[in-house]
Amino acid sequence: MKIENTKAQMRKGVLEFCILSVLKDEDAYVAEILDTLKDAKLLVVEGTIYPLLTRLKNAGLLNYRWEESTSGPPRKYYGLTETGKLFLKELNTTWSELHNAVTIVTSQKTTKK
Amino acid sequence: MNKTVNINLAGIFFHIDEDAYLKLQRYLEAIKRSFTDSQGRSEIIADIEARIAELFSERVENDKQVIRIKEVDEVISIMGQPEDYLVDDEIFEDEPNASYSKKSSSSTSNRKLFRDTDNSYVGGVSSGLAHYFGIDAIWIRLAWILLIFGAGTGILLYILLWILVPEAKTTAEKIMMTGEPVNISNIEKKIKDSLENVTETVSDVAKNVSESVSSAAKSIDVKKGANSIKSSSRTFFDTIGDIIMFFFKVFAKFIGIILIIVGASALIGLIIGLFSVGVADIIHVPGLDLVDIANAGNTPIWLISLLAFFVVGIPFFFLFYLGLKILINNLKSIGNIAKFTLLGIWLISIISLIIVGIRQASEYAFDESYIEKTELPIMANDTLNIRMVGNDNFNPNFYRNNHSFKLAHDDDGNKTIYSSDVDIRVKSTTDSVATIAIEKSADGRSYEIARERAKNINYNFDFRNNTLLLDSYLTTNPENKFSDQEVDVVLYLPENSVVYFNSSTKPFLYYRNYEGNIISRENTNHYMKILFDEAECLDCPEDDFNVNVDTPGLKINKEGVEVKSEDGSLKIDGKGLKAKSEDVKVNIDSNGIEIKSDN
Repeated sequence: MKIENTKAQMRKGVLEFCILSVLKDEDAYVAEILDTLKDAKLLVVEGTIYPLLTRLKNAGLLNYRWEESTSGPPRKYYGLTETGKLFLKELNTTWSELHNAVTIVTSQKTTKK
Repeated sequence: MNKTVNINLAGIFFHIDEDAYLKLQRYLEAIKRSFTDSQGRSEIIADIEARIAELFSERVENDKQVIRIKEVDEVISIMGQPEDYLVDDEIFEDEPNASYSKKSSSSTSNRKLFRDTDNSYVGGVSSGLAHYFGIDAIWIRLAWILLIFGAGTGILLYILLWILVPEAKTTAEKIMMTGEPVNISNIEKKIKDSLENVTETVSDVAKNVSESVSSAAKSIDVKKGANSIKSSSRTFFDTIGDIIMFFFKVFAKFIGIILIIVGASALIGLIIGLFSVGVADIIHVPGLDLVDIANAGNTPIWLISLLAFFVVGIPFFFLFYLGLKILINNLKSIGNIAKFTLLGIWLISIISLIIVGIRQASEYAFDESYIEKTELPIMANDTLNIRMVGNDNFNPNFYRNNHSFKLAHDDDGNKTIYSSDVDIRVKSTTDSVATIAIEKSADGRSYEIARERAKNINYNFDFRNNTLLLDSYLTTNPENKFSDQEVDVVLYLPENSVVYFNSSTKPFLYYRNYEGNIISRENTNHYMKILFDEAECLDCPEDDFNVNVDTPGLKINKEGVEVKSEDGSLKIDGKGLKAKSEDVKVNIDSNGIEIKSDN
């Protein structure tokens, strides 16, 4: 078992959740989503996001609209659908549960030492 | 100075250096390959292209600036390598959205053959094949070792696969290499799914129909139901189509395997053949001398074998290649240059073989003979004995075998061609003295060569005490090749002389008398008196008269003669004569003559 694989799996697992979270308040186009994720050091290269966005869109969690850009090609602005919002809510709960669980488990171990 | 290319990336126009363009193209191509259509490939690619266009426009200050390889490299490092695009399906297998997970499960990716260089000993061919066939690489390696012992064919096959099968470089390719197989259980699942669909819709329709019966106004629902059954029957037929396609693919693969086996075994056989002939030619295996001597055209054997190898081998190579292509979707092309070179070599080889063939055939174009005549002191009333003489080295048994040329060593140990193609003919002559004519003939490319070869035939006879000793063989130097050398011994014997052919001459005589040949095989071991154009046996027992005719109209045998026709019959035998016609009967026998007439 390689550490890189585990890391990548961890990161990819939360990536969908994070993308949905970025779009929670307002629509954004890819570069904006990317900036947020890159600032959070969640994403190293941009390539990963495109298949994920397409997946989420195909699953009906996201929709998009085109907007003209002054500096380049037209931009796809992504937003959450109703299902997406519900989905995100559920993921939020799961995440906090998971976060709690992980904190408990890891802190327990340190106290034992 | 650099050549530039104009590209349109997501609707934006860019000047780009050619090398940078090629790099970008390769990059996009690699990304394209890491997705399947069901993942929404075209959409993902369009998004990526749009992003790259955006990144480029950030880096270009004005319209005239050219994108260089540096910018492309920057963009690639931002976007990531093709493997970074991969979404590991396993992580998302427990997708909450059912409709989506169904979609992803239907996209069974085909396994593809790559060389697995991560687990390689030599070129990764074995581990690649192991992935492809879903077995442990150790078995493939064992098979190679066995094949290597099998006359080294394994090495050749390995090298071919090494060249033709691409290496799994990206993660995408590595995943494709171990991809999910199309197997029976998958088909089963598919059929079940579609059947369930159909039953569902049938019950739906039934419901709809019953509703529509209760209310005529709801007839639209029937339409709806009909539509839905239509669409689901379409998916059902799609599934059937998929199954048919699957069997078709299996069939194609089967043909591919057969082609590979046929092509490979033919190639291997040819290569072994070529090797053994080549090696034998170099180290001079004794048996090959015969071939060398039969080869009248003097074309080197290795050249002929090589030409034959190309003429036969190249089509089989293409068969082999075709088989591989059917079997392996992503097979590297051997390239047009290689294809046309092979085609060229093939044509040249065919033409050369034809030329060699014509040359070889022309060796037999001229058939010339050379005649030596000698007088023999045999006069009328003399008796001439004729015997054949063999040689311990050549034809000791007087066994005559037409066109059997053999190679032997003479007393001095020199190689010599010998043949027993010796014919004896006897003619009567009005001269007072007998003559023996030795007619030697041989074939050649030209009159001179044929005549020279005829002259070079050695044939001897000896005459002692009224006995003629004829060699039962002819010899010639191997330089003269097998060129249908033959010797005709023609004896001109004066009339009234007597000749006695020893039984040893039997195989060398003609079966029958013809064209002035007056002694045949039947006449050996008898004293034959020569008359004008015939010979009379002096000590032959009277031949039994033996006639046997058996037709519906006429019978002649030991018992007598019988003639039958519609009008009457006639029978003559030991008892007498019986004749019958419609009205008259005549009997002649020991009782006398009896004539009966109905009138």
